Amino acid sequence: MSIDAVRDPDAPRRPGERLATYAAFLFLCLFAVYSAFPFFWTLLTSIKEPVDAFATPPVWVFDPTLSHYASLWLDRGFGWYFLNTAIVTAGTLLISIPIGAIAGYALARYPGRLGFWLLILALVFRALPRTAILLPFYQISRSFGIYDTHILLILVLVSINQPFTIWMMRSFFMTIPAEIEEAAMVDGCSRFKAFLKAIVPVMWPGVITTSLFTFLLAYNEFLMPLILTATKATTLPVAISQFGAEDIRFWSLSAAGAISITLPVVALILIFQKRIVGGLVQGAVKG
Amino acid sequence: MARIELRNIVKRWGPVFGVRDVSIDIADREFLVLLGPSGCGKTTTMRMVAGLEYPSSGDILIDGRRVNDLEPKDRDVAMVFQSYGLYAHLTVYENIRFPLRVRGVPAAEHDRRVREAARMVELGSLLDRKPKALSGGQRQRVALARAIVRQPACFLMDEPLSNLDAKLRVSTRAEIKHLQQTLGVTMIYVTHDQVEAMTLAHRVAVMEHGVVRQLGTPTEIYDDPADIFVAGFIGSPAMNLVRGAAQDGVFHAPGLSLPLPQHITRGDLVLGVRAEDLGVCAPGEGQFAADIFSIEPLGDSTLVNIKPGGALVTARVAKDYRGEAGANTGLRADPALFYLFDGATGARLRLTGQGRI
Repeated sequence: MSIDAVRDPDAPRRPGERLATYAAFLFLCLFAVYSAFPFFWTLLTSIKEPVDAFATPPVWVFDPTLSHYASLWLDRGFGWYFLNTAIVTAGTLLISIPIGAIAGYALARYPGRLGFWLLILALVFRALPRTAILLPFYQISRSFGIYDTHILLILVLVSINQPFTIWMMRSFFMTIPAEIEEAAMVDGCSRFKAFLKAIVPVMWPGVITTSLFTFLLAYNEFLMPLILTATKATTLPVAISQFGAEDIRFWSLSAAGAISITLPVVALILIFQKRIVGGLVQGAVKG
Repeated sequence: MARIELRNIVKRWGPVFGVRDVSIDIADREFLVLLGPSGCGKTTTMRMVAGLEYPSSGDILIDGRRVNDLEPKDRDVAMVFQSYGLYAHLTVYENIRFPLRVRGVPAAEHDRRVREAARMVELGSLLDRKPKALSGGQRQRVALARAIVRQPACFLMDEPLSNLDAKLRVSTRAEIKHLQQTLGVTMIYVTHDQVEAMTLAHRVAVMEHGVVRQLGTPTEIYDDPADIFVAGFIGSPAMNLVRGAAQDGVFHAPGLSLPLPQHITRGDLVLGVRAEDLGVCAPGEGQFAADIFSIEPLGDSTLVNIKPGGALVTARVAKDYRGEAGANTGLRADPALFYLFDGATGARLRLTGQGRI
C-alpha cells in the first residue's frame, strides 16, 4: 500500500482536488438514482391503482394501496409459487454446495494436470448455451416421468451451477495455505479429520459467498422452469411473467410480484453483507 | 528417543527428480540441518520424514521401524512450518492443545501440559489471543509450543526463522538450540541460511539438485569442503574461487600466477581461498595484486575487494584497515591454505596429501 493510499482523509486538500471530489460525489449520486430508478418505479407501480400507474404525465400524489399484494398472495396462489421456488432453491443449495466444497478443495490441493483439465471441462459445460441443453433435458425428464417436478428442477439447476460452485470454492481454498491441514495431520489427524478440524472451521466465508451466488442463480432462473414445468412445480419468475402478459391492468400485479420476489434477496444480502464482501476479497487476493 | 535413518531415498514426480538417493543416519538427540539453495530437495526430504510426501523408493526408519507407509500422525514427529500453519479459528491456548485433543490425551493433563509448553516459549500472557492478533515472532512461538506439547520423538523444522526480522531471528535461533538441548529430542532442521546451519547443527547435510554434497560437522564442511559447491555455499563472504591451470607448481589464471606448495601440473583447475586467509600487503609482495575495486567495512572487520584478471577476490582484514578504492594493493595467503577443485567436475582435489591440496 502506498503512502498516498493511507493518508488521513481529514487532511486539508488543494481546492481543485476538493472540487473534483464533490463533482465525483454528485455524479455518483445521480448515477445511483438513475440505476435505482426502474426498481423505484416498479415499487410505485405496485402500490398504485392501474389508472394512476399508467397516467401521463406520471401521478406523484396518490392513495397507496396494498390490494395488488393481497390479490397476488391470496387469490393468485403466489404463496404456492413461492414455496416451489423455496424448495427448488434450497434443494439446489443443499446438493451443489457440499459437492462444490469437496470438489473445490480437492482441485485446489491436487497438483496434477488432470485437475486442470477437469476444471476446463467444467468451464466448457458452463459455457454451453442453455437453449442447447434445454430440449435434451425436456426429453429426458419426460422419459423418466419427472417432468414438472421439484426434483427435476433441482437436478437441472445443480448440473448447470455446479461448475461455478466448484470454481469459486476452489479459488477460495487456494487462499487457505496447505500448511494448515498438514500441521493438523502431523499433530495427529487423518487426512479427512484434518479437513474437518482445520479447514471446515475457516471455510465459511467462502461457503457463504458461493451459496449466495448459487442462491441467486437458482432463485432467478427463468428459462429452465419455463420449459420444464407446467403447473405443479412452477417457480416465481415464470409465474410473474405470466401475470403481466394478459392486460395492462395486471401490470400493477406484476410489479407487486417483482417487489415480492426481490425483497428476500435484498434481506439476505443485507444480512450477509460483510461476509459477502469479505468472501469476494478473499477469493480475489491472497491474504 | 529417536534415531532416524534415511536409506537411498528417492523422490520423483514423473521425469523430475526432487531427491536422488539420499542416505543419512541421524543419531538420537542429534541436531541435523539440511542446508541448500531453494529447489535442492531439502524440504522434500524433511516432508518425507514427516509423512507429507512418500518416497518413490528407499526406506525411512524411525528407531528401526520402517515408517514409509505410515500416516504422519502415526510417526510420532512434530513439525514447525515456514508460515507456522496455525489454526486461525482457535486461540493460542487451543492451538497448543490441539495435538493433545486429537490424540486422545486424557483431558485432565491438558491444562498442565499446555501451560508448561507455553511457559517454555514465554507465551504465558497471550493464551487467550487469536493468531491474527499476534506478531510474527509470537506466532512462531505458538508453533513451537504446539510442537513441544506432545513431547514427540523428533522435531522437524522447515525454515522456521525465515519470516522473522533479522534481530528476532538471532534470538529465536538461540532459543531453538536451547530447547533442543533441554528437551533432548532429535531435530531435523531445514534452512537455506548457512549461518543458521553453522550455529545450530551438530551435523550439516549440504544438498544440491537432490543430492547430499557433504555431510559433516559445521567445522568439517567449512574447513574441509568436499566439492566446489559446498566451498562456495558455506562462508560469508563466499570462498574466493579462481579458474585457471597449474604448470610446474605454478597456478596460472588471467592476470595471476601464483606458486602452489607442490610441483603440480594439471589443466582446468579452480583455486579456492577463504577471505579471512588473505591479508593485505604491498603490491608485488603477495600472490594477488590489482587496484582496489571496493572496500566494505563490516564493523568487526573490513572486506577488501580486488579484481585481478576479472574474477573478484575478497580479503577479510582488520577493521582498522585504511585504504583507498583505486589504489594498488597486494593480497597474500599461506599457500598451505589454498584449496584446489577439478574445473570440470567440481570435485575437491587432494593431489599432494599436504596442507589442503
